[in-house]
Amino acid sequence: MKGIDQLIIPDVRYAPDHEWARLEGDRVRVGISDYAQDQLGDIVYVELPRVGDTFERGEVFGTVESVKAVSELYIPVGGEILAVNPALEGSPELVNTDPYHEGWMIDVKPGDLKELDALMSQNAYVRMLKGLD
Amino acid sequence: MPEKTKKTLLHSWHTACGANMADFGGYHMPLWYPAGVKKEHLSVLTNAGIFDTSHMAAIRIEGPGAFDLLQLCFTKNLAACVGKKQSPLKPGKCAYGVFLKDNGEVIDDAIVYQLSGKLYMVVVNAGMGGRVTEHLKVRSGPRRVELTDLTDRLGKMDIQGPAAAKILGKVLANPEKTLQGMSYFSFKGEVGKTTVFGSQVRLVDGIPLLLSRTGYTGEFGFEIFMAPEHIVKAWELIIQSGRDFGLIPCGLAARDSLRTGAVLPLSHQDIGSWPFVNHPWPFALPLNPEGTGFTKKFIGDEALLNIKEPTYTYPFVGYDLRKVSVCAPAVVLDPEGMKIGDVLTCVTDMGIGRHNDRIFSIASPDKPENFHPGGLSCGFVKVKSKLFPGQIVYLRDTIRKIKAIIVEDIRPDRTARRSINEMMA
Repeated sequence: MKGIDQLIIPDVRYAPDHEWARLEGDRVRVGISDYAQDQLGDIVYVELPRVGDTFERGEVFGTVESVKAVSELYIPVGGEILAVNPALEGSPELVNTDPYHEGWMIDVKPGDLKELDALMSQNAYVRMLKGLD
Repeated sequence: MPEKTKKTLLHSWHTACGANMADFGGYHMPLWYPAGVKKEHLSVLTNAGIFDTSHMAAIRIEGPGAFDLLQLCFTKNLAACVGKKQSPLKPGKCAYGVFLKDNGEVIDDAIVYQLSGKLYMVVVNAGMGGRVTEHLKVRSGPRRVELTDLTDRLGKMDIQGPAAAKILGKVLANPEKTLQGMSYFSFKGEVGKTTVFGSQVRLVDGIPLLLSRTGYTGEFGFEIFMAPEHIVKAWELIIQSGRDFGLIPCGLAARDSLRTGAVLPLSHQDIGSWPFVNHPWPFALPLNPEGTGFTKKFIGDEALLNIKEPTYTYPFVGYDLRKVSVCAPAVVLDPEGMKIGDVLTCVTDMGIGRHNDRIFSIASPDKPENFHPGGLSCGFVKVKSKLFPGQIVYLRDTIRKIKAIIVEDIRPDRTARRSINEMMA
């Protein structure tokens, strides 16, 4: 088990359900945190939405399945799905090996960028994980 | 459950190795190591894995009334349980069965070892040593027996997988003599009043063992008991010597998926507070050849023969690796959508896959070329009416509904029963 501080990077925003969101141009890329994948263990299947689907913030956009459990994924920023990571169909383990980059899940056309600002910073997320807040 | 979570003596080894830990049966145990559950599961199918099972409990039963007490309390008929001939249990042999309440519900499952004429060891699940000891004490009546709860007095590890005997060949003091003739459900070694003692079976550095040709994975292998003070040294020695054979440490998650693929129950999940009948483990009951009655009297027998509202437990296999969560909880639906029961266990066996409607394992000798199984969900359902192999059911939790087929067996080509000579060669 890695230490919490090693798992959390500075350049994304975090949701309480352990999804991360990163503004890339005019789209928001979404995945799950290194902490979340470490807790889930080997990820063997990722169920993602279709391009064009729309979600409100906090709605379930897919599931991530590890050998241990099936977890629902909650969209941290509402909007239209612009892309899903095609590599996860054949290589779901990318979520384990590179959760913030190769293991990304969806690109969202954000409805309201304020939702991104409302997410946690690295520090706030680490504090939450350590049970400090 | 104990108030405080206990640690096995290998706890610091697990955490130093980066294992993901969780509470199980009152102990803080490794779920998986950094290699990950999938690698651990596959390693046991193709090479070998080592599990810390020191959380399991044992009870020593000694005295002229020991056999009689076990015959009364344990479901297996110890007078007829060894081999095809169903001969009596004897020193060096062990048998699997369960302890029942009068109403036929399961207290726990166990393996009974006959150490000598009037001396037995009963291995039960984590946290169950006290409960089963008390049960045996209450039921002993006038029988002359001495019961000792050996909870936390035995170190235990399991080496499971086709390379297990070859690895033991490197670490046992006298490997050929020790392993020779060790059939499935046989063991060698001794247990004293407090723990494993000066037996003939030793590691190269002299650590005495009780070596049992049993396990909880469906694969060839051994459960190894020793005095707790030796366990870290023995564990490190075996891991070091096993590396060349592909041995890796494995956690409880791989143990759970391996045992499910092998159609073995998890106590208090697949067997529990309902009558122990109509399930895939009839070999744990002393059934007569016709299956209409029992060959001995035992606690719970009347209840099992007079069930008013029967339930039926069956193994199932899904059609891909997606599973349902039994904590959700998950229900069983017939093809018309009627609820017919509950899902007891649902895991993914990552070592199996379908090819032309047949299930193969990565260890199947006749597996198709370039076979890379995606894994299949599997487990047990408990339903209100009889089902038959080949019947389709649907399993639904709060997230999804999956299709599954009722089966007689799950992971094919398991190695647990292979001959020791074949596995040493």
